[in-house]
Amino acid sequence: MANNKEELLKQLADAVVDMDEEKAVELAQIIVAEGIDAYEAIEKGLSAGMEVAGRLFEEEEYFIPELLMCSDAMYAGLGVLKPHLKAKEGAAEEKVKVVIGVIEGDTHDIGKNLVKILLETSGYEIIDLGRDISPQKFIDAAKEQDAKIIAISTLMTTTMDGLAEVIRLLRQQDIREQFKVMVGGAPVSQAFADKIGADSYAVNAATAVRLARQLTDGVA
Amino acid sequence: MSNFTPKERLLKVLHKEKTDRPPIICPGGMMNAAIVDVMNRGGHVLPIAHSDDKLMAELAVDVFTNTGFENLGIPFCMTVEPEVLGSDVDYGSMKCEPKITQEVFSSSSAVDFHEFAVMLQTGRVNTVMQATYNVARRFPDIPVIGNLTGPVSTAASIVDPMIFLKDLRRNQLAAHKVMEYVSDFLIAYAALMIDNGADVISIADPTATGEILGPRMFCEYPLVYINKIVEAIHSQGVPVIVHICGNINAVKHALPELKADAISTDAMVNLRKLKEEFPKLITMGNVSTYLLEMATPEKVVNNTRHLLREGIDIIAPACGLSTSTPLDNIKAMSGAVKEK
Repeated sequence: MANNKEELLKQLADAVVDMDEEKAVELAQIIVAEGIDAYEAIEKGLSAGMEVAGRLFEEEEYFIPELLMCSDAMYAGLGVLKPHLKAKEGAAEEKVKVVIGVIEGDTHDIGKNLVKILLETSGYEIIDLGRDISPQKFIDAAKEQDAKIIAISTLMTTTMDGLAEVIRLLRQQDIREQFKVMVGGAPVSQAFADKIGADSYAVNAATAVRLARQLTDGVA
Repeated sequence: MSNFTPKERLLKVLHKEKTDRPPIICPGGMMNAAIVDVMNRGGHVLPIAHSDDKLMAELAVDVFTNTGFENLGIPFCMTVEPEVLGSDVDYGSMKCEPKITQEVFSSSSAVDFHEFAVMLQTGRVNTVMQATYNVARRFPDIPVIGNLTGPVSTAASIVDPMIFLKDLRRNQLAAHKVMEYVSDFLIAYAALMIDNGADVISIADPTATGEILGPRMFCEYPLVYINKIVEAIHSQGVPVIVHICGNINAVKHALPELKADAISTDAMVNLRKLKEEFPKLITMGNVSTYLLEMATPEKVVNNTRHLLREGIDIIAPACGLSTSTPLDNIKAMSGAVKEK
């Protein structure tokens, strides 16, 4: 039985890595039927699979379409497992909250969605504001949700100033220290992040997860 | 020794012939130079110039006369094509470029295919054509560059981009059908630009980068369809510039297969090395848009001179310019090219 469980969790992780949505659902159903703990299955199956997918993405084995399909398989499995989580586990640990969005003027959200997926599978609670979001809205949401991290993305050079504006407003309102600000997107660079006073710059989605862990001292 | 008109110079370079010096251009479209400084001087402003042919033409002329760029570029956004194909567009503001507010189709399989003949009379197609005709007639010695949104970017602007990217892999038949449709539309649209006086066509396809798609899909989709568009434009005797965003490492090996006459890249790409690797390539670029926005004119001049020393064939900004880029920095860049 123990053997069977390990094997099933491994297969579930593989289904995510192999972008196989149907297989992920099928395995999740077997796992539920076998009475295996849903929380463990999410952690050792689905999240483990996404971690491998993220690594393959960093190694340039996988690119964005592949990563998106892995996350589809992951979410499909999650849909089956989630209702079987024991209540206490759902509320057991307070997750670190991240407010994420694409800055005003920009509607390119591929990068933002990837970061969201990877952060979510790494155990963060994500408040996704969507795209074309004004600087003040980021701040309002972060305050309201008591978030630790504000993650802002842009893909257009024309909107980069909005990223600086978020930090300017935080300083103006004397709450800069309450939040860690992470920036990313094609035209953004480490130099730009330093210049505007962001806490970190993520060159890609996989890096964003690592940086988020650093910013929150490994708590996620 | 400047016996070349800007049009002759650019066309010669694109035909791999010798000239006195590299042209300095900013094609338009995604890479346009309608910065706030220029609009304040000329008084022809965005966003209304996106949909008024006379203002669009005047703004192109303002950019030309103020910046020192040796071309006229039309239009000033990447949304003309997706708008015609059905997506909703917000024209933005003076500082902010237009954007797609909602892609019209939820997946590649859901795309409705329409007749081009009808579509080419809708949206802002006519605005773009009138503006092109207007500037081409007034400036016979200056190259007019017609700008296309590349096929992957256009497709991902009419189909939800997250879904479309997945369709490239899991629903290839439908994705290819959409790419085929979009490419045929772009061919017909570019042909109209050429009929109205465009001397060069520039294609920017920011969704089709190696970083997003990876090498396998880059070769299966954008390479095939961009080449199809380039060949159709070539058959009208017009050269084509292709801009590839981001880091090109993952797809570098495929670049010689691109049939474009010049390849423009982002600032992180070392164009000298690219030329060493592929000596036949005509390179264009890649003055950092970050420098152009943030640095002093001296630094911009240094960056530009460096590219000149490295033998880059056409000097241009590396990517889309921020609308808050100071005009002095742009003049410093064009001045550095012309000072020889």
